[in-house]
Amino acid sequence: MSPIAATFAAVGAATALLAGVGLLRFATAYARFHAAGKASPVAFLVVAAAAAIETGWSGAARLAVAAVALVLTLPVGVHLLFRAVHRTTPRAMTIDELAAAESSARRAGEGRR
Amino acid sequence: MIATLTIAAFVVTATCAAIRLVRGPSLADRVIALDVALVSLMGAIAVHAAETGTTTYLDLLVVIAMVGFTATVAATRFIEHEGARP
Repeated sequence: MSPIAATFAAVGAATALLAGVGLLRFATAYARFHAAGKASPVAFLVVAAAAAIETGWSGAARLAVAAVALVLTLPVGVHLLFRAVHRTTPRAMTIDELAAAESSARRAGEGRR
Repeated sequence: MIATLTIAAFVVTATCAAIRLVRGPSLADRVIALDVALVSLMGAIAVHAAETGTTTYLDLLVVIAMVGFTATVAATRFIEHEGARP
């Protein structure tokens, strides 16, 4: 591996390690999702940059498709998980800042119907 | 050398995710632990491609990302419907 690719791979692996440790050590579900859902796509992006340097154009094209797929889907999935936890355990928060937005959105939806 | 270290870091990440998968208090914790394990598998595949220069396994990455997202969305709908039930 070239030094630049090795550096990218090491940085990506360190970021993935941060995601794993955060997922394991944080106390609340929101903090765990925050650590895992933000660090892991960044880790894959950096490692994919290392692999794209090493494998040439055909590998770089496949890695770009994979990176776009991951970056588009993984935050959406983590957001859905956040919302599921929020809806099933509402007492986890002392101030529900999402309630006003949810009720106004519900009212707007009823008005449209 | 650096490839071995990198793959070892991804293995440690997947082990952390596996511990959270076993221990996790809620179902959502288990879902995100599986997601992190899948992303570390994707990273290990990318490091393997960078080390050997082969592009054969890179097609797997898109499939893994899509399967992980579909599983997350399905599990999320399940959690929300289960939570609505008393």
